[in-house]
Amino acid sequence: MKKILVLVLALVMALSAVSALADITIVQNKVEIDAALQEYAAEFSKEAGYNVKVITAGGSSDYNTALKAEFASGKEPDIFVIEGPTGYELYKDKIADLTGEEWTEYTAAAYMDGDKVVGFPVAVEGYGMAYNKDILDKAGIDPATLTNVDAYQAAFEKLDSMKEELGLDAVVSMVAGTAPGMTWVTGLHNFNVYLTVGLDRNDTSIIDQVLEGKVDEDRFHAYCEYVALIFKYSDPEMLLNGTQDMQLAAFANGKTAFYHQGNWMDPNIVALNVDFPMAYAPHAFLHEDTDGILVNAPSWYVVNANAGNVEQAADFLNALALTEAGQDYMVNKAAMVPAFTNVTLEPATPLSKSVMEWNAAGKTYSWQQYKLPDGFGMGTLGAIYELLASGAIDEPTFEQMMKDAIATIPSL
Amino acid sequence: MDNQKFFSGRRERKITEFLFLVPTVLAFFLVIIIPFIIGIYYSFTDWDGVNVAKNVVGLANYKAIFTEPGFLHAFLTTVLFTLFNVIAVNVAAFLMALLVTSNVKGRNLYRAGFFVPNLIGGIVLGSIWQFIFSSILPAVGKALGWAWLSNSLITNANTVVGAMVTVNTWQYAGYIMMIYVASIQGISQQVMEAASVDGATYWTRVFRILMPLMANAFTISLFLTLTNSFKMYDVNLALTNGGPVTMFMKTPVQASELLALNIYNTAFKYSKMALGQAKAVIFFVVLVIVSLVQVSINKSKEVEM
Repeated sequence: MKKILVLVLALVMALSAVSALADITIVQNKVEIDAALQEYAAEFSKEAGYNVKVITAGGSSDYNTALKAEFASGKEPDIFVIEGPTGYELYKDKIADLTGEEWTEYTAAAYMDGDKVVGFPVAVEGYGMAYNKDILDKAGIDPATLTNVDAYQAAFEKLDSMKEELGLDAVVSMVAGTAPGMTWVTGLHNFNVYLTVGLDRNDTSIIDQVLEGKVDEDRFHAYCEYVALIFKYSDPEMLLNGTQDMQLAAFANGKTAFYHQGNWMDPNIVALNVDFPMAYAPHAFLHEDTDGILVNAPSWYVVNANAGNVEQAADFLNALALTEAGQDYMVNKAAMVPAFTNVTLEPATPLSKSVMEWNAAGKTYSWQQYKLPDGFGMGTLGAIYELLASGAIDEPTFEQMMKDAIATIPSL
Repeated sequence: MDNQKFFSGRRERKITEFLFLVPTVLAFFLVIIIPFIIGIYYSFTDWDGVNVAKNVVGLANYKAIFTEPGFLHAFLTTVLFTLFNVIAVNVAAFLMALLVTSNVKGRNLYRAGFFVPNLIGGIVLGSIWQFIFSSILPAVGKALGWAWLSNSLITNANTVVGAMVTVNTWQYAGYIMMIYVASIQGISQQVMEAASVDGATYWTRVFRILMPLMANAFTISLFLTLTNSFKMYDVNLALTNGGPVTMFMKTPVQASELLALNIYNTAFKYSKMALGQAKAVIFFVVLVIVSLVQVSINKSKEVEM
């Protein structure tokens, strides 16, 4: 009996010793890099002597929900992703100060709280109107001219009239449905077109106004007309029913000329063996020329000071930016555009390449949509976009409802 | 002496009984009662779900609920869904039970077949049916030239509740059928035979003898379907995620968002934990009232042999 007891005790102690070996957990939100990150983390674990576990929740499911659940479960993650001030404010008390880490010397895109560096930029991401160059060539449209809404109007009309000849189902591959969980495309990314296109990267006047519940009448009117224009030349079934995969498939199979998505779709594009040349054109919704796409560090890795493995977590981030393996993972495996100046690798995938070119040319507008209150873009605004997409409301009603919704922001 | 021994024995037995109850009672308190009480407290605060800091705001959350079109619409939709779903599930389950207890060939095969959908998880089921509704049925509709089927039934605000009822009936009727089957088999064949000798037709026997005698099965089945429909979440999430959007009280709302999903979205999507908690309290109260009323009505209809 005693022997058994001793054995059990020894076992328990051995087990607790194993779990005391710092295992760090990353909760992240990019489904498309999950496989690459898992692989990199496994490689890294072998050398580091502790395990790095990756938990991914994102895409159509809700990352913020999963993150809250992780915190509520008591096993707080060591590294997690914040997408801007909303996330930062929520977890502020737990987030470690990373000032002075080696990687901070090589980036201008870190998340700052005053002078404190707190967030490691996951990547630089960008989106615009991705186009299929072959189709535009056949239709005689020069993508370089797509810098104002009149050029878009003419291009859409021309492509629409040549649909049969070009084998198109619709001109634009766009999604707006709540059921497939795609309202972030409309309520966040497309809405950001209104917030920043044509403005200096540091100019926050429009988002500040929106947060006060107001809009710039002329600019907003032009924006709403632009949304209606895109929807008019999209497949109505796709708008309401389309998932991320269906939206990509339509573009990748040459069934649409334009595609409203960002360069984070690159791994999926590669997986589908797409062979036509593609690049980004600006979301030019004004009559004046606006020549630039929307580029930002969309999210940052932050270290949870509460979880007790700050050192290991910081090492992991340093390795990501500074080692060859880490850079290879970011650029080649995950097909991301790194936010670090010491990385010289060039992305091989088409959309990331386009983002890098626009970025290098300095023709970019910032992302401000993450300053909207939780759920407002995807839920409240997304619902109104879906109504327009379904034809339940017309453009003037859409504009009015959007304004009414924005007017409620100060009370949220 | 004898007397004393008797008493101590009884006391001992009581202690033993009590000790046997402790683990269960403890678990029940830890995971149900205490979180429930804490939850009621949270509903009077402005807690955001992450930080410990919270202020007591009194009834503000409850006031907000009753002026929120989204919640009112979810409430009405849930009532509508529950009504149709309880009828559809029970009618289907009862007819299937009659079929598999009759002398029809292959009735054991039917019995198993009807039950199988219940073994599929709600999320998987919802995803499968989403594919059927958004890809297969419209293709069939277009091929046959039926206008009503050519567009997805789950992106139309008028048909989406019907689509959810269809899916839930498909999943749940087999389970309720088993309850009816057990009850039908418990009824003495002599009564049915006597009635048939007296010249009662099949349907007279079903309505006049079978159904009154299995009233207790109706009580339990209606209770299960009622609470199940009211609490519907997984199929709702996977099948429609609350979509499409429709107008209600001049505000855009989610046409198929039922109460449970509305509470979840309030708490997690909009990060209003305390408001979501207040909704959950209301949800609980309504559910208790509705099921008590249903059980007491059904109980009064039960007969003893």
